[in-house]
Amino acid sequence: MKIASDIIQLTRRDFLTSTASGLGLLALASLFRDEKLLASESAASPFGAKPPHFAPKAKACIFIFMEGAPSQMDLFDPKPELNELDGQKLPDSLTKEVRFAFIRKESAVLMGSPRKFQKHGQCGMELSDLLPHLAASVDDIALIRSMHTDQFNHHPGQLMMNCGVPIFGRPSIGAWLNYGLGTESKNLPGYVVLNAGRGLSGGASLWSSGFMPSNYQGVVFRNQGDPVLNLSNPPGITAEMQHYGLDTINNLNRLRHQHVRDPEIASRIASYELAFRMQTAAPELIDLSKESKETLEAYGVDREDPKIKSDRGGGPGQFRAFARNCLLARRLVERGVRFVNVYHASWDHHSNLDVELKFNAQMADQPIAALLKDLKQRGLLDTTLVVWGSEFGRTPLGENRSGYKKITGRDHHPFAFSLWMAGGGVKGGQVIGETDEIGWHIVRDPIHINDFHATILHLFGLDHARLTYRFQGRDFRLTDVAGRVVEKLLA
Amino acid sequence: MVLAATVCGAKAAAADAETSVDFKRDVQPLFVERCVSCHGPEKQKGGLRLDRKADALAGGDSGKVIIPGKSRDSLLIRNVSGVDPDNLMPPRGKGEPLTSNQVAILRAWIDSGAPWPDDAIALASAQTQHWAFKVPVRRESPAVKNTDWVRNPIDAFVLARLERESIVPAPEPDRATLIRRLSLDLIGLPPKPEAVAAFITDPNPGAYEALVDRLLASKHFGERWARHWLDLARYADSDGYEKDGVRPYAYLYRDWVINAVNSDVPFDRFTIEQLAGDLLPRATLEQRIATGFHRQTLTNKEGGVDQEEFRCKATVDRLNTTATVWLGLTVGCAECHTHKYDPITQREYYQLYAFFNNASEKDVPAPRQAEIDAYKREKARWDNECDRLSDELSSHWRGDFSAVQAAWESGLSRPRVEWYVLQPAAADALEGTTLKIEGNHVIASGKSPAMDTYEIDFETGLTNITGFRLELFDDADANKGPGRAKNGNFVLSEFKLKVVNAKGESKSVALTNAAADAAQPEHPPANAIDGSNATGWSVNPQTAHGQVIIFETVQALSPEGKLAFSLVQHHGKEHTVARFRILATTSAPPFTADLMPPEIARALAMPATQRPIDLARDVAKFYREEVDPGTLDIKKRIAAHARKRPAEPPTKAAVLAENDQPRKTHIHVRGDFLRKGDEVQPATLSVLHPFQPRGPFPDRLDLAEWLFDPQNPLTSRVTVNHFWKHLFGRGLVATVDDFGTRGEKPTHPELLDWLATEFPRLGWSRKALIRLIVTSSTYRQSSVVRPELGERDPLNGLLARQNRLRLEAEVIRDCHLAVSGLLHDEIGGPSVRPPLPSDLTSIAYANQIKWKNSEGPDKYRRGLYTFMQRTVPYPMLMTFDAPDSNVACTRRERSNTPLQALTLLNDPVFFECAQALGRRVAAMPEADTRQKIRSVFSSCLSREPIQAELDRLVHFHEVQSRLVKNSPATARALTGMSDTEGENFEAATYVALARTLMNLDEFVTRE
Repeated sequence: MKIASDIIQLTRRDFLTSTASGLGLLALASLFRDEKLLASESAASPFGAKPPHFAPKAKACIFIFMEGAPSQMDLFDPKPELNELDGQKLPDSLTKEVRFAFIRKESAVLMGSPRKFQKHGQCGMELSDLLPHLAASVDDIALIRSMHTDQFNHHPGQLMMNCGVPIFGRPSIGAWLNYGLGTESKNLPGYVVLNAGRGLSGGASLWSSGFMPSNYQGVVFRNQGDPVLNLSNPPGITAEMQHYGLDTINNLNRLRHQHVRDPEIASRIASYELAFRMQTAAPELIDLSKESKETLEAYGVDREDPKIKSDRGGGPGQFRAFARNCLLARRLVERGVRFVNVYHASWDHHSNLDVELKFNAQMADQPIAALLKDLKQRGLLDTTLVVWGSEFGRTPLGENRSGYKKITGRDHHPFAFSLWMAGGGVKGGQVIGETDEIGWHIVRDPIHINDFHATILHLFGLDHARLTYRFQGRDFRLTDVAGRVVEKLLA
Repeated sequence: MVLAATVCGAKAAAADAETSVDFKRDVQPLFVERCVSCHGPEKQKGGLRLDRKADALAGGDSGKVIIPGKSRDSLLIRNVSGVDPDNLMPPRGKGEPLTSNQVAILRAWIDSGAPWPDDAIALASAQTQHWAFKVPVRRESPAVKNTDWVRNPIDAFVLARLERESIVPAPEPDRATLIRRLSLDLIGLPPKPEAVAAFITDPNPGAYEALVDRLLASKHFGERWARHWLDLARYADSDGYEKDGVRPYAYLYRDWVINAVNSDVPFDRFTIEQLAGDLLPRATLEQRIATGFHRQTLTNKEGGVDQEEFRCKATVDRLNTTATVWLGLTVGCAECHTHKYDPITQREYYQLYAFFNNASEKDVPAPRQAEIDAYKREKARWDNECDRLSDELSSHWRGDFSAVQAAWESGLSRPRVEWYVLQPAAADALEGTTLKIEGNHVIASGKSPAMDTYEIDFETGLTNITGFRLELFDDADANKGPGRAKNGNFVLSEFKLKVVNAKGESKSVALTNAAADAAQPEHPPANAIDGSNATGWSVNPQTAHGQVIIFETVQALSPEGKLAFSLVQHHGKEHTVARFRILATTSAPPFTADLMPPEIARALAMPATQRPIDLARDVAKFYREEVDPGTLDIKKRIAAHARKRPAEPPTKAAVLAENDQPRKTHIHVRGDFLRKGDEVQPATLSVLHPFQPRGPFPDRLDLAEWLFDPQNPLTSRVTVNHFWKHLFGRGLVATVDDFGTRGEKPTHPELLDWLATEFPRLGWSRKALIRLIVTSSTYRQSSVVRPELGERDPLNGLLARQNRLRLEAEVIRDCHLAVSGLLHDEIGGPSVRPPLPSDLTSIAYANQIKWKNSEGPDKYRRGLYTFMQRTVPYPMLMTFDAPDSNVACTRRERSNTPLQALTLLNDPVFFECAQALGRRVAAMPEADTRQKIRSVFSSCLSREPIQAELDRLVHFHEVQSRLVKNSPATARALTGMSDTEGENFEAATYVALARTLMNLDEFVTRE
């Protein structure tokens, strides 16, 4: 075992070269405690980005989360028979055991989709006319039409999709990946969250580290002010002062360390050094001036919002904010960030669906398609998993909520919804799963959220059953007590 | 074995102290914990059982698995060590592989001949023989060599162990360190420099104990130790989930905890009041507020949720939290299936669930004294004005109105429509209102349900009825109007009429052309006959007098039977009618909804001189009270004043209350609340001591008392372990939340048991127990890391020193505020919202979370008063590992991250603290630079700098002065003062110096 000063050297060097997540005494201690790591011959440096269970395909993940539940039969899952049955009642047998958020069962009728679907790419994947840009990338995409979840209310549903259980206080996928693998970013946090739109049902619980230490929690990059809270020096503290001040802090901390010999002080020094680097790296990250004109145009970062009213899409400027976030996601991944959440709220179209879904789709389609192409051109798509998804889907029934004059929207639907994945070891150009003729139930290849999570971890070289965290006497997993890897998704 | 033991912490250190492997101590628990769920009494995968000697040694389908003396040839070792990845035990998905240490134990056991004493009890009872399920045994404190070191029995237990290991305890640090440690641990604030100086020079031999007593008596002690408890209580100021509504009075419970801790309410009573305060005889309001412990559960008010689902979730949380906090058991697994590792069946889980299942959530008025006083003052002022207005009206009515009345009468035209009052025969309400018939009026009284439907029958001889008139009367009280809602309003959803003949056959009568004297634009009169209960007619704010609505019959009606009217009032919130009568007419339409009663109209039709005296009086009264402009003016002012009635104190406490009608409890099959299994009755865990309820229907109070049964092996152990953790950074049982078979074993089992028996002996006094611990030599050791023990005891399980601990989030904030002098140290009251940038609060649902930055002194309150909005937790607190308040937090993480560095360096609150401290020091009269630097230093760190530190800071001062000089703008920015006073280069320099010191590791550490 190394003596303390060596540990400090090691810690410092390591912070400078390999990790951006703070590793404190706690981590150090748990490594000591974790006999397996020390017994394992492969663990050369316990402080580095941690080794996966087996060879990974993906190194980073961009999870685009369309909060509120987009309507799958208007985007991804064409249902010509639903259009024919428009206005008809469903047999009671289908709705008898079903709970709805707002639909009144006795008078609900099916609602067709006005969207036109067309086949695209070599694979012939059918997408709606709301997604013209994405249509060009279908051969990179694995579209799942057979996702299902246990939850039909937003916040529990969002927790389920992010944390694997509909319960507050659990770590999200990004926290699990950073816990399992560490991060390769030298100057930025391993888990970054980008928001646009009107604000999420789940708020900060969606990128929580739950019972894990706070260094695994998502760091929100803001759309205004400092990109990271408290990134800028206080007024009056010049760059020179900051530099000199940090020097003094670290110096005094070292003096203290000579006295108390606590390795935690070495971690503190490393944290300050990393914070200092973040002060440069984060503004550099959000500075798009070095991006080419073609890139900026491809993402559409200067697009104006169309002048249609969309209460749910968020205030003005969403088109720009979302495009910028997609571009930032690529820049984050380029810099070694492990997990990026790109949120937009909301797609909760209980009413005015045709108008507002169009608004949202116009906002999202071009930047997302640009992101896929951009990643591919830069050779990053092979190692970057891109996910497009939400907490659940929407009903084929029109929503006849009490008090609604006209039926112009759909209610929540947990039994079947669509989601797509691309890159990072996912086999593109395929459609997985199938729903019945009206999109009510899955008829082939059901994929539960726990399965989806197991597959994500697999792509990162992690066995979902072995990636555990002990809390309150129990070994917790992202996949709770279920989950199986969806082999069809793997390239 | 040796290699493994050197690196695996206290547990291994403990094993290392003994040289040989002991079956009962080392091997059997491993089998129990890791193997027997598949190879035991319930399942025998591969034909193997490891819970019984004969079966285990006989082996399974593949033959022998244990070959005594030959671990290398034993299949057991081959499979658990992972040599053959295809045959790994436990299999993938069934648990982590065994650690190398565990494999080493099994190997050593087999190599030593696999001794399996016959008295090693069979596994079925092995779980029940788990150490933590046995009543603690109080042992004499062991003999030690260095008796001088022993201040109390704690030390004897710790030292005996150290002496066995030939380790000398760490020395006591200097007094500056001790007072800082004690202050941070006991009150969560750093000591003031004067207090440090006084303590250092205190010659009294009992100076330390006196300091402890002073701190225990401080009102801030309650804040510090309440916060520890609030972690367990998952305390928050909002509901959680999408809507995350605020709970403005959640603080009542938080303040209850602070007060209880400050007044040292014994832990048994402290517990009983929180779990079952409502069930105590003659429960006081404060005892009911204590039940707020279990009102910290989440509430989901998202549209379209099934409330029963979330009620069940909250109940599950109440049970799991109770088990975690008091029993140190993770019963949660048994929600869906019988516990794999601990002896808790799913049936038992729901028996425990039953205790909480019968509780309902109630919000009871809990006005604070200040509110009551303010309300009484306001109400008295308001009452006075009521009296004055009422006097004004009476004196006005004493005037002579004959001339003005005559002038008014002369302008009236003769009414064309004759209305006949119908005499009600029967009146009945469907939802619980009491209807009385008085003369021709129907009067509602008694219970005031949210909605109701009135059904009134009339007999009439009228034929060719062309219309009906419903008259609603103002209630006598000035505060009320024609409706029973709080504001005197009502909503008439539907006005329906049927004719019922003698055979009981009924026929609906169609009505049309509804008209009223007054109506709210969104509640027009036509709504009362539109066939929908969702709409209605309503009149707010015209509630100061009676109201009238009239209807025409579509066809003239000559009823063959009685008239049966229905007044449907489905708006909710008691929007029902208070008093009314119904009239009919045979005149030709149209009708006007004139407020004048038909009796008066008829009297007015006669010449004034021919009116009988009583009619003349009625007309005069009607004029005086309903028509006269002077009267109407005063009435208008009365109505306006009535609306200003002071609101009763709004504060309500969230409490639990027992249902009168017990709710049945069923097992939820696989934890699904919709799949009901067997019905169960409240009962405790069979593995623990017997349950002796007070009566045949056990309730929460019985459960709470069961926790304090002298036979309860867990409550006291778990609780003293929590206290120990707060004072040493680590529990004697490291898994403070798991005393089950999967938890870690105590590092000092005899000490744990001694403390567990001492706590009740001390009358469950929190203060006495803390005093006992902090006055021990064990606690008083230096925390300087001892590299020579780093390998043997990396986690300091042997307690050969104190631990250095990063401060908790709230305490870091408090230290900044305290040192800067900005702290506003008021105790209790509503939670506050320290300033946050607005975009941070807008991330939550549809930008609906309102975070109104607190102003004035509330900006500088202690961290524990920060409003906990569950979906937008205060970022600084989260960055420093404060709990998210969703489940009980038994142990906070102590991470160390760059975001923490950015927060300490740049958070405006902390910079403001540096500014205040820097300005203060710069203003010290007649001090030179070195003195001032010493002053900032000791303010921040409670000690004098060593020479090297001082030199470094002097140098910093020089450089910083140079950087500030010549830039008044920089100086102004640094001092935070925009005027010329801010152009103080010295102050600006000390601001930067203070900021540096407040960023030191030592500043955020308890040594």
